[in-house]
Amino acid sequence: MGLRSFIHRLTAPKRHDMINNEPVKLVLVINNDLKMGKGKIAAQAGHASVTATLKAGEHRPATLDSWLHSGQKKVCLKSNYDELIELESKGKSNGIQTVRITDAGKTQIPSGSLTVIAFGPDNEDKLHDLTGHLKLL
Amino acid sequence: MDMSQEHEGPSMALIVRKDLRLSAGKIAVQCSHAAVSCALIAKKSEPRLMERWQSSGGRKISLAIDNLDSLKEIMSRAKSAGLITHLVKDAGHTEIPPGTITVLGIGPAPRNSINALTGELKPY
Repeated sequence: MGLRSFIHRLTAPKRHDMINNEPVKLVLVINNDLKMGKGKIAAQAGHASVTATLKAGEHRPATLDSWLHSGQKKVCLKSNYDELIELESKGKSNGIQTVRITDAGKTQIPSGSLTVIAFGPDNEDKLHDLTGHLKLL
Repeated sequence: MDMSQEHEGPSMALIVRKDLRLSAGKIAVQCSHAAVSCALIAKKSEPRLMERWQSSGGRKISLAIDNLDSLKEIMSRAKSAGLITHLVKDAGHTEIPPGTITVLGIGPAPRNSINALTGELKPY
């Protein structure tokens, strides 16, 4: 390796957007501390998914494309508040896109409650390492 | 008179078939699918509406419908009103047979149009 490419490798910004035909998914983790009805969860999950999609469109278009073209694979898991916060920071430090949704609190739960965090879209294995231990909702 | 009505932004309806008795997680995933697809259609075809929807909080409501026939009827009414619609068919890996229609997404659309179409439906 030449000196220039060595320096480049050290100093170039990390590329998160490097997905090539790897399976991609979006993981939605619900805050199960809150007693939300099915419809409420659905709306909150929808919110997280749309926000994650638009954010990925700006920052990780190649990943978003792979995800959209492979059927928008999603999985919905459950956890509690403390673990969600921990997973969020772990996800971020692993370069996984996270989207946190807090509720306006017009119905069912207090305003500002953390309802769901979306992880990805990103490589399935990478997400599995982070959230594989969680149960399906 | 409700003065807040004028300032309320566009809305999106996620209409779920209750006859399928899907689990909470399944419903969340299917509704997310509808929401993402509708949002992407809106981003291309009605960017200003999409922007207003996003900046006013991206309101969504999940509603229950009795069966497939009623779902299709609402869809055709939404289409003739010129609204964005997206029908979600399940890949059928779990719970239900492949190709089953689970959720209809309508919007983002003006709040009045959504209410006129779905006013009789109950929240899921």
